Amino acid sequence: MPTPAAIPLPLKWAKVIDQTRCIGCHACSTACKSENEVPLSVHRTYVKNVDIGVFPTARRAFQVTRCNQCENPPCVTACPTSAMFQRKDGIVDFDKDWCIGCKACIAACPYDAIFINPEDHTAEKCNMCAHRLEVGLEPACVVVCPTQAILVGDMNDPASKVAGIINREVVAVRRPEKDTRPKLFYKGAHTATLDPLAALRPTGGIFMWGEQVGRLGGKVTSGTSSAAGSGTRTTSSAAAVLSYDIPHNRPWDWRVSAYTWTKSLATGAYLWGGPAVLGIYNHDSAMWRLAVPFVAGFFLAITGLLLIADLKQPTRFYYLFLRPQWKSWLVRGGILISAFAAILALHFAFGLTGNGAAGVALSWLGAPLAFGTAIYTAYLFAQAKARDLWQNPMLPAHFGIQSLLAGAALWTILIPAGDLVGGPDLSVSVLTAMHLLMIGSELSMTHGTAHARAAAREITHGEFRGFFALSLILSGLGILTPIFGAFGALCALLGLLAWEHAHVQAGQSVPLA
Amino acid sequence: MSAKRLPIDVDHGAVGAFKDETASRKETFYQGPSGSDLASFPPKERWDDWVELDSKSWPRKKELRQVLVPTTCFNCESACGLLAYIDKETLQVRKFEGNPEHPGSRGRNCAKGPATLNQIHDVDRILYPLKRVGNRGGGRFERVSWDEALTDIASRLRKAIVDKRPNDIMYHVGRPGEDGYTERVLAAWGVDGHNSHTNICSSAARAGYQFWMGFDRPSPDHANAEVILLISAHLESGHYFNPHAQRIMDGKQNGAKLIVMDVRLSNTATHADHWIAPYPGSEAAILLAIANFIIKRKRYNSDFIRKFWNWESYLAAERPDLPRTFESFETAIAEAYASYTFDFAAKESGVSETKLCEIAEIVSKAGTKLAAHNWRSAAAGAEGGWQVARCLFFLNCLLGAVACEGGTYPNTWNKFVPKPIYMPPHPKTWNELTWPKEFPMSMYEMSILLPHFLREGRGKLDVYFTRVYNAVWTNPDGFSWIDQMTKEDSPIGLHVALTPTWSETAYFADYVLPMGLGSERHDLHSYETQDAQWIGFRQPVLKEAKRRMRRDTGADTRGVNPGEVWEENEMWIDLSWRIDPDGSLGIRQFFESKKTPGTKLSIDEYYDYIFENSVPGLPAKAAAEQLLPGEFMRRYGAYEIRSGIGQLFAEDVPAAELVDVARDAFGRVYAGSPKPDSLNVAPQPVPDADAAGRRAVGIDVDGRVLRGFPTPSGKLEFYSPTLKAWGYPEAAIPVYIKSHVHPENLLPNEVPLIPTFRLPIQIHTRSGNSKWLSEIAHSNPLWIHTSHAAEVGVLTGDLVRVSTRIGYFIVKAWVTEGIKPGIVACSHHMGRWKLESGEGQRQSMATVSMERNKSAYMLRRLFGVEAHDDARDKDLSRVWWTDAGVHQNLTFPVQPDPLSGMHCWHQAVRVEKAYEGDRYGDIVVDLEKSKAHYETWMAKTRPAGKFSPDGTRRPHWLQRPLRPSKDAYKL
Repeated sequence: MPTPAAIPLPLKWAKVIDQTRCIGCHACSTACKSENEVPLSVHRTYVKNVDIGVFPTARRAFQVTRCNQCENPPCVTACPTSAMFQRKDGIVDFDKDWCIGCKACIAACPYDAIFINPEDHTAEKCNMCAHRLEVGLEPACVVVCPTQAILVGDMNDPASKVAGIINREVVAVRRPEKDTRPKLFYKGAHTATLDPLAALRPTGGIFMWGEQVGRLGGKVTSGTSSAAGSGTRTTSSAAAVLSYDIPHNRPWDWRVSAYTWTKSLATGAYLWGGPAVLGIYNHDSAMWRLAVPFVAGFFLAITGLLLIADLKQPTRFYYLFLRPQWKSWLVRGGILISAFAAILALHFAFGLTGNGAAGVALSWLGAPLAFGTAIYTAYLFAQAKARDLWQNPMLPAHFGIQSLLAGAALWTILIPAGDLVGGPDLSVSVLTAMHLLMIGSELSMTHGTAHARAAAREITHGEFRGFFALSLILSGLGILTPIFGAFGALCALLGLLAWEHAHVQAGQSVPLA
Repeated sequence: MSAKRLPIDVDHGAVGAFKDETASRKETFYQGPSGSDLASFPPKERWDDWVELDSKSWPRKKELRQVLVPTTCFNCESACGLLAYIDKETLQVRKFEGNPEHPGSRGRNCAKGPATLNQIHDVDRILYPLKRVGNRGGGRFERVSWDEALTDIASRLRKAIVDKRPNDIMYHVGRPGEDGYTERVLAAWGVDGHNSHTNICSSAARAGYQFWMGFDRPSPDHANAEVILLISAHLESGHYFNPHAQRIMDGKQNGAKLIVMDVRLSNTATHADHWIAPYPGSEAAILLAIANFIIKRKRYNSDFIRKFWNWESYLAAERPDLPRTFESFETAIAEAYASYTFDFAAKESGVSETKLCEIAEIVSKAGTKLAAHNWRSAAAGAEGGWQVARCLFFLNCLLGAVACEGGTYPNTWNKFVPKPIYMPPHPKTWNELTWPKEFPMSMYEMSILLPHFLREGRGKLDVYFTRVYNAVWTNPDGFSWIDQMTKEDSPIGLHVALTPTWSETAYFADYVLPMGLGSERHDLHSYETQDAQWIGFRQPVLKEAKRRMRRDTGADTRGVNPGEVWEENEMWIDLSWRIDPDGSLGIRQFFESKKTPGTKLSIDEYYDYIFENSVPGLPAKAAAEQLLPGEFMRRYGAYEIRSGIGQLFAEDVPAAELVDVARDAFGRVYAGSPKPDSLNVAPQPVPDADAAGRRAVGIDVDGRVLRGFPTPSGKLEFYSPTLKAWGYPEAAIPVYIKSHVHPENLLPNEVPLIPTFRLPIQIHTRSGNSKWLSEIAHSNPLWIHTSHAAEVGVLTGDLVRVSTRIGYFIVKAWVTEGIKPGIVACSHHMGRWKLESGEGQRQSMATVSMERNKSAYMLRRLFGVEAHDDARDKDLSRVWWTDAGVHQNLTFPVQPDPLSGMHCWHQAVRVEKAYEGDRYGDIVVDLEKSKAHYETWMAKTRPAGKFSPDGTRRPHWLQRPLRPSKDAYKL
């Protein structure tokens, strides 16, 4: 009986980097810059160097570092316009014509493999030189390597070299716990290079032949700080010092911190403000018909502007609606914000005609939309798979509380004191206390991973301890709103902002590569 | 089964380079490293018109039509093959990849290969001839025409030649990148004017090899070795980095054991199976302990030694008490090396006896498959370092691992220098500025001493060419150079800098003449990368591209280069005609066309002559593709003449040569037959003829006459009668010499500084104009061990004051476990600077002020590397680094090894925390101290006047560039 032929599996591109052959010469780095016209200050690939051990039992470990061509790519899931997409053959590719520069992919990639190209302001990364594969040529780095340490091929083809190495030799991937299923396998890589926190970052801002960040601002350096008293420790029990690396990205800056705050104000102004205003006044009042939708709409507009301003391609913001990638929380959030904005607009328009009851009817839709708008950011942050600090099950609840708190504080300021029977109520105090309770939980609990712990430490002891301390003081004053009135409410609001900034920045402060 | 790929879009004009498609078109498939159906390069049949897709437009399929033209990289001497991808529309080079047809580099490159693109497009490069305006060193230049410049230079050269002042002319080369072209120019002019950088590079190692076998460089067969022993860092630097790194890793993958001796954790040491970090200067002690071990355990190749060593000479001269038998020699050699115990070596080196024993075991079992290499490293650092190379090759000679598979070959047998159209006779003069009496056996010129010799009034230079040679920067004691160049009545008359870029030396030039980079010039070279002979051709790629596209290429290379950038080869021809327009000086004849006599030799004719006449097998290979030999070379850039050269020393001398034979007492065979013509004119040592003038042809071995080696005895000279005769009896056999940084020779609180280690990313100052390379590597902190740093009181990044015997520099500390405690090291390449008044390489130079107070010079950093908005290159605004490193070389006094002439780079230094007021990059030097130090080292020499056994300046048989006639050798 003839043996049945094996059913051929579809082509699945994979990469093998053999660090037992790699001599750390950086030919791949310059060949890639040449082939793909990569500007200075950004890199599609580079060679990380870590010095391991104690003299004379020491060596220098190299790691050729770039996109891992994940089978489960978080960058693709996060991209709102499918500018980042996965091909059937497994290559994770990108289309610059559709990139809006939101940097969700950069926030999502657990390997810091993506960067914004300063020439065209769109996202870019190693795409296995797909333009060369198309014409039957190996990628540029594969060809140039003096020791042929980089290989590509079909991992589903048992006869291929890459399949042979992946399936028959000892290989490892970077950060498998991120559930990305990388298709770049390292042979002979040392855990001191694979784990971003394993090596000690040298003091003095230098590496063995270069500067850590030079003139660049807003960068993250790899490794764990070795500054005296930093209280940090590396994840490697073997001595390991980072001897060469490139500056790393921190994609979302103050604009993203600020947008979470203005969004809390917008949604809270409606969620808390709505019932409060209806309680103090009635649905015919100008406060309900006009002030509530206007205040909420005002902050929602600022939120929208901040979001657009954060884009590297702000004029393309509407691509979100032209070609939405539905799994992206940027898209879902965009829909929620737009729908909520529409409700507010209708509420205001009816209100102008003197109709307050319409606004009440609309609120059956408005309230869930506002709530969704308030908390979706938790899911957006969690979709940034790279950031362990944001993989926090309490985050939706926390954003919900922040929203209500912002609304309560805002209306405490806006509602004339005379209208507040018995003075400002305990809402701000209670909500602030709940907010502080959430922070306390977050920071006092043992963290699941070294990355989360490191990020939390940046808030309490590190780069952002200033903002953190400030937020505690301000929130403390906020609890005393019944005594301080509007001033207390303002403190509560600013305390929220200070906290979110620390949270958003610290979450991105942990090195990924 | 092959991978099924997405179908190629048939709408665009590209064809695939895939294996099956290429095969179906009967074209060459270059198998890519992944072993799949992907090619590493487009098939060569399509190099005239290759379509690729643009990366930046992807996934849109924008086609780029290109013509692929080969050349070779100019960034280091390896001259790895490159293919220039030239856009057919814009006629601009888009990128450089490797050349799969190059037998040495095999299509692969180091980081510096692709980075050549930056150098071509560098907006700071010099595009036009420049002439100094104002004081030398003032930084002001004006543009002049080539005609004006060359007329001026030629007239001065002519005057010097006519006035019989040939020694007033000097050509000082940094990176030759070619085999002999310029030497022949100087020979044609009749001047012994060649000067090089070799004595800051490989002089010592050359001495070590040459005294053994006559040839002065090794060609290790790493890929087939069982044991690879490196006193080098060949996985990141050296001759020939990329080709050798490939083969070392091949060897390792095939099971070879890699042993690396390096005081520092180099990238090479990282891959070593055994890394030992000896005290600098103690390497020879370790090697001799290994030799002693091999001898005691009788693991040496007795048959090989008996046949090919000059043991009989040794017994006759040094052990007349013993019968002249091989057994006596075995006894004698065991006695000679008995004192080199592991205990002794451990004490000298700080490496444990256990480790040394382990290494010795491994080496002793290598059989004939020991591939060992020392190029610079220890030999270039320590006084007596030439013995390091000698002791290393000693191991190969003990095991018989010479010129065999997996062993170490002499370089010249793996090299082919094709006979050129003219071979001018060598000069009849001897230039003592480069070959002084104090150093009769120096390997190459005493280039580092030039400023001191000029200061002492030993001569002057009417015309001084520096060619891709950054004398002020790369040498020790750069302020002495500046001093001689800028003083009133400078002994340097006209300084002509031949360079593509600004450099610290070009500032002090009178003419700066721009010469082409690796894709803008012609050169021919052949390097010993494996047991084969190949030639590589460097060419102006746009010229060849235009030729293939039947476009006009202009009158000369300037027609295809940017601005008025030229190339030396054509320029020398033009200059030589200006020196001797009517031929009456006998110079012009060597630059005349043979095809159309009376006209200038064209560069194409020069190379076509070689390809048509002097490269065996090339015309036939070309004809098989319906190409002329020159067309073939311009198309493929390289040609392998033969491989598997093997043990030429063991070949029988053909009977035709054995005419009128005579022998000496030790079996050296001489013959009256004339030297057979050879198309391979690679320089070799010239063992002396016998008293009757018969030339040395071979050696008697077991009843046959074998070729042997080009040493006086024809054998491997374990015992060097030359060394004995010329004043070094104590070093006549391989011995250990305690260096100038031996603990016994250090002053209190001094430690050795190793300033020679190189980075894989940079190459001296030549790569300073590549932004991609500068982005990766732009500083040279001081490597210092954790414990040592704790003593000094510094952390990484803190400022340290490093004081040499003549000055000090302020540098940052790099605290590391990657260096032996108590030794410090600082990389060779960094520390570029420009004066405020001058132009420079903006992304790799700091701007400094230079002040002088009597004999003290000070360099102070004003500001580091800055970003610039330059419309010609937007990337310059993204320069994110500020550092350029510290120019430590300025603080190093000259330390010429008395025998090899090598500048002993290792410095005895004090390492302290920086003082109050010290700023990063400060450099201070006292020239009085530099002078005193120079005189101390000159006192160590054994000058020819006192030690020459025969009234000549130098042993005649030793190799020497531009070797003058025999008469000139007389004192």
